[in-house]
Amino acid sequence: MNAKICLAVVAFAATFAPPAVALSQKETDDLVRLVDERQRNNGDWTALCYMESKEKEKTDVVYELVYYRRSEGQRFLILFTKPKSEAGKGYLRLEKNLWNYDPGTGKWERRTERERIGGTDTRRGDLDESRLAEEYSAKWEADEKLGVYSTHRILLDVKPNVDVAYPRVRLWVDAATGNELKRQDMALSGRLMRTSYFPRWKKVYSESKGVDVWYPQELRFYDEVEKANSTLVLVRQVDPRPLSANIFTKAWLESKSR
Amino acid sequence: MIGTDLLIAARNLVRHTKRNAFLAAAIAAVTGLLVIMGALTEGIRSAMLESASTLMTGHVNVGGFYKHTSGSAAPLVVDYEKVAAQALRLVPEIDYATVRVRGFAKGVSERSSMDLGLAGVDIGKEQGFRRVVRVKEGRLDDLALPGTILLFEDQAKRLDVRVGDAITLSAPTDRGMSNTADVRVAVVAKSVGILSSWCAFLPSGTLRQLYRLNDRTTGVIQLYLRDVSKAGAVAARLRQGLSRDGWRVMEADPKPYWEKLMAKVNSEEWVGQKLDVTTWEDEVSFLGWILSAIRGLTGVLMFILLAIVVVGIVNTLAIAIRERTSEIGTLRAIGMQRRKVLWLFLLEALLLGLVGTAAGTLLGVVLSVGVNAAHVSVPESVQMFLLQRQLTMAIAGRSLLGEALFILAVTSLAAVLPSLRAARLRPVTSMHHIG
Repeated sequence: MNAKICLAVVAFAATFAPPAVALSQKETDDLVRLVDERQRNNGDWTALCYMESKEKEKTDVVYELVYYRRSEGQRFLILFTKPKSEAGKGYLRLEKNLWNYDPGTGKWERRTERERIGGTDTRRGDLDESRLAEEYSAKWEADEKLGVYSTHRILLDVKPNVDVAYPRVRLWVDAATGNELKRQDMALSGRLMRTSYFPRWKKVYSESKGVDVWYPQELRFYDEVEKANSTLVLVRQVDPRPLSANIFTKAWLESKSR
Repeated sequence: MIGTDLLIAARNLVRHTKRNAFLAAAIAAVTGLLVIMGALTEGIRSAMLESASTLMTGHVNVGGFYKHTSGSAAPLVVDYEKVAAQALRLVPEIDYATVRVRGFAKGVSERSSMDLGLAGVDIGKEQGFRRVVRVKEGRLDDLALPGTILLFEDQAKRLDVRVGDAITLSAPTDRGMSNTADVRVAVVAKSVGILSSWCAFLPSGTLRQLYRLNDRTTGVIQLYLRDVSKAGAVAARLRQGLSRDGWRVMEADPKPYWEKLMAKVNSEEWVGQKLDVTTWEDEVSFLGWILSAIRGLTGVLMFILLAIVVVGIVNTLAIAIRERTSEIGTLRAIGMQRRKVLWLFLLEALLLGLVGTAAGTLLGVVLSVGVNAAHVSVPESVQMFLLQRQLTMAIAGRSLLGEALFILAVTSLAAVLPSLRAARLRPVTSMHHIG
């Protein structure tokens, strides 16, 4: 079969293939809830992370950090452990406020929740529990192939009076598993700001939830405004066991740098 | 009587022309140097005032911060027309006022990116703008068109753009949501020192669009006074007046608004609007080190040179007293009081100092005027700090008089000790002195 025949077959198939069946609004909402639910732990969470940031005309930066989460009260804490110059720095989320601690100055500074973590293209929300259904309204756009995966393409628009870094998000969800595979974050102007890929997912049994919890083991963020910038996050050593009660405090983070 | 004393002092000085001329020349050199350094400092201060009050501040600013939550501050003044009306009522010495939107964004071109401090302006109402900003490429009037931007040449070089090229501005809104605006470079202006390295200008409507601000919200109301020296008093009055009228006003803090935004406001617990009244000196306080460095250098130089002059005066008078000991003895023997002897020697030093400082002041003024007339170009690397393209010396009559009087006072004081020694000489022993 030569190339022309091949093209003709593909064109024929494309013309007469049955169109993708749209997900109903309920199915779409359920799908987004599923994306959240699969990643929700309903308890405590610890993960060791490696973060590599590449920026044009700048030296590559690599961080090792540990992040802690607690579903109750949406507690969240990041502790940088490497390199030495960054060790002891951290972020602590307390009642919708994100605080940054620098042991060099001993000062706490309040930051926006949309802060770039360690100056990379990673945001607090990328490491925190997924709350898409809570923050966005979903609309099914299409079913399409993403490499070998069959995916649902969903468009998310931020709900009124909710503050998020990106008001519009396009999501590619694996139709078979409900895992998020690709994500596009857009600005208020509609411009594409960032594309993220989540090529590897793993599960861990959570006692607090009583079932497996899924998490992306690899997160790749590509800056779409400054095309040369990208961030790779590798999540390792996940532990969903309960944490000590005093972890989500300023004193605990300060004690780690002493 | 004083005329006779002056004549005697002048004659004594002339008798040793060479020695005294040398000392007068030294005093003149020190005075000249002080005048020149003073003119240079004043020139930089004037340039700083002119460029700062065009690029980033009014003489007095009514700005402020708005916080949706305690952790998300933005440099905004909500309902600015009401604030402006009250500010204008409280400041009768106003010359004119402008309203600007303030912001920060990442500017991204095809080839590069950089952080920019943004000012949203209505170019038609910016009276001082055309006086300071020199266009290198493009037309300043084009900045009235929406979706345009003025960059300074260093910024254009860094971003590798020219007039007509597009850049994307990326910034979070006051609620922290990402937004972008595509703008076209309409003007590339010549750099005006350190301040132009991060300030870029665009129409206020375009910046409002980037931050999603309504027409009732702006960044700052900049007030320009007929007499800039009243800025501090006007700012204090505005703070009091606006508080009285029910606005929440921040306490005086001599720091630029962006420093407060980054280091202070976000850590405070309040939400809503707070106004912040600053003077131009507060907004450029981060450049104060330039003036301090020049003043420090002048101080050190002055101390060393004045020490040399003081030693010279003491030495010269000591020699004069030694040479004229028998003469002093004779004068004392025929009835001259100690006080009169003291006065004559002091008058001699005063006269010497007067001649030296007058010559030095004249020299300093002539040199300063000469430098201004010669249009001496400042090397680019130094322009950053001197905030000038051409070396400009500013001579203020009051400070000139102050500098001359200071040198005169020092030279006169230096003469007190040797003059006292002359006055204390006993007539009998002095008359027998051979020297």
